[in-house]
Amino acid sequence: MHYFDARIIENRALGNGYFVLRLGGCDSLAQSQPGQFIMLRGDWGRDPLLPRPISLLSVAPEGRADLLAKSIGRGTQLLEKSSPGTRVSVLGPLGNGFPEPTPDSLDLLVAGGVGLPPLFMQAENAARRGLVDRCEMVYGGRTSRDLVLLGEMRGMGLSSCLATEDGSVGRRGRVTTELEARIDHHRAAHPQRKLRVFACGPREMLWAVARIAEPHGIECYLSMEEQMACGIGVCLGCAIPARSRPFRYTCSDGPVFLASDLVIPDLVIPPAAGQTTGAAP
Amino acid sequence: MTTAPVDTETAERPSLATHCGAIEFRNPVLTASGTFGYGKEFEELIPLSAIGGLVTKGISPNPRFGNPAPRICETAAGMLNSIGLENVGVEGFAEGKLPFLRTCGTKVLVNFFGTTFDDYVDCGDRLGKLDGVDGLEMNVSCPNIKAGGIEFGRDPRVLGDLVRACRKVIAKPLWVKLTPNTSDIVALARACAENGADAVSVINTITGMAIDARTRRPRLATIFGGLSGPAIKPVALRMVYQIHRAGLGIPICGIGGIQTGLDAVEFFLAGASTVQVGTQNFIDPASAERIVREVEEFCRQNLVTDLREIVGALKTTP
Repeated sequence: MHYFDARIIENRALGNGYFVLRLGGCDSLAQSQPGQFIMLRGDWGRDPLLPRPISLLSVAPEGRADLLAKSIGRGTQLLEKSSPGTRVSVLGPLGNGFPEPTPDSLDLLVAGGVGLPPLFMQAENAARRGLVDRCEMVYGGRTSRDLVLLGEMRGMGLSSCLATEDGSVGRRGRVTTELEARIDHHRAAHPQRKLRVFACGPREMLWAVARIAEPHGIECYLSMEEQMACGIGVCLGCAIPARSRPFRYTCSDGPVFLASDLVIPDLVIPPAAGQTTGAAP
Repeated sequence: MTTAPVDTETAERPSLATHCGAIEFRNPVLTASGTFGYGKEFEELIPLSAIGGLVTKGISPNPRFGNPAPRICETAAGMLNSIGLENVGVEGFAEGKLPFLRTCGTKVLVNFFGTTFDDYVDCGDRLGKLDGVDGLEMNVSCPNIKAGGIEFGRDPRVLGDLVRACRKVIAKPLWVKLTPNTSDIVALARACAENGADAVSVINTITGMAIDARTRRPRLATIFGGLSGPAIKPVALRMVYQIHRAGLGIPICGIGGIQTGLDAVEFFLAGASTVQVGTQNFIDPASAERIVREVEEFCRQNLVTDLREIVGALKTTP
């Protein structure tokens, strides 16, 4: 973990409020893992007061780090308007990351809207190791304007399955419907291959992903988002209910969690064949 | 009034050393409970030996797991929290956190609390006997379960009894962190002074709430939380000054929205002999060290050779 000043060297608008900030001076982020994040703050005076947790989209040599954000609240609105040369303070890399890609498994990278960055970085990491065919992006949003960086993903050689709620591109419906279809497809096409699911997006989407993956016994990792003030396990603001202990912390235990350690609302795991429900006859 | 430019290079290095109760500090800038973990979290971010001291997360006799989420939210120039006093408990602290603190190079105050009168005494007694603890800070902003959930620290008589009982078992310096959720802060400080406290920390968070109009829901799961940050500085300054002006003779540690050295100096002028930096540790995790430098710079610029000269030096006459 390092605390340093960086500069915005490029601010690229992608439409519909999405933008990619390219930071320079981030040499200490070079070894960051997909899933890790930074706490970022500009010279904002007292409004907003707290730094913003933002996932890394990509890190590259020469101290370059890319971030994807969507202009939603006060902090992201200010970032969207910031010009090249703007100084920002950075604390990072923070938190943990997704497991590394392996030749033995196929990883379904499930992204919802602005939850794309850690999965994009995971794919980039896989591509760098020659394992891009061991992952597949399943990417959803409200409309085609919520699906960004598609060209970059094609450029990596990444296979992507898209879903939009309005049907403007890809399957009409939610990303989780597409995920179910992809699981069925891979189960039928390569029954021996180990599937893993890595997901990042809105909370309800993540719970739905876990409700799909868990009953199949598929290893499922969720990258969580929660309000936080510090990013380093001090404020204890980012608690989420867990199974192994009452709470885990998004910043210091996560942001990536095994779904099986989180308390997933309405999760039903059917009993394995041959087992009873435990009810008395 | 001097206005001559000061050659800060050659000016004598001002003395920032101070004491609060029986604890000698190399400088008056401490970090506040709940915003600095157990110290180790900031080890890579600032040299801990550069700050006057740190106050740990509040410790209770047994571990606590805290409140449901959302636990924090940002507000205008501040933040609300309702963490629920989550902590590792006395044993977890002694075994897991204290070994590092013994070698961290700064003074260590342990914040503590209980949910019953006996809890407080038991917790203070056990923590006070630990090697490596320089002093204790009692958090009295906890609901008194036996008294219907009213904070221990709101009633001067209850507070006085609690301080007296803890004082009996705690040989080390005992500070009391006062709640600002009162109509008479001086009465609370007096109850502490008259019952043997060594210092008062002023102030803890101010109770508040925030609402999301679109969802019609409170922004915190517990509805109410504690407001901190620059938004509360004027209230904190007022309370520090009121206690100082009352002439109780008890040292004051000023807390509330300190972001810069100049903010800290305002607290010294109001009567605080030390200060704690809280929410600012989240905004800029290296700020406590910077604030020490800025206080020193202020002293140089204003020909203050010993920081103690400006404690309570507020001018209120025309």
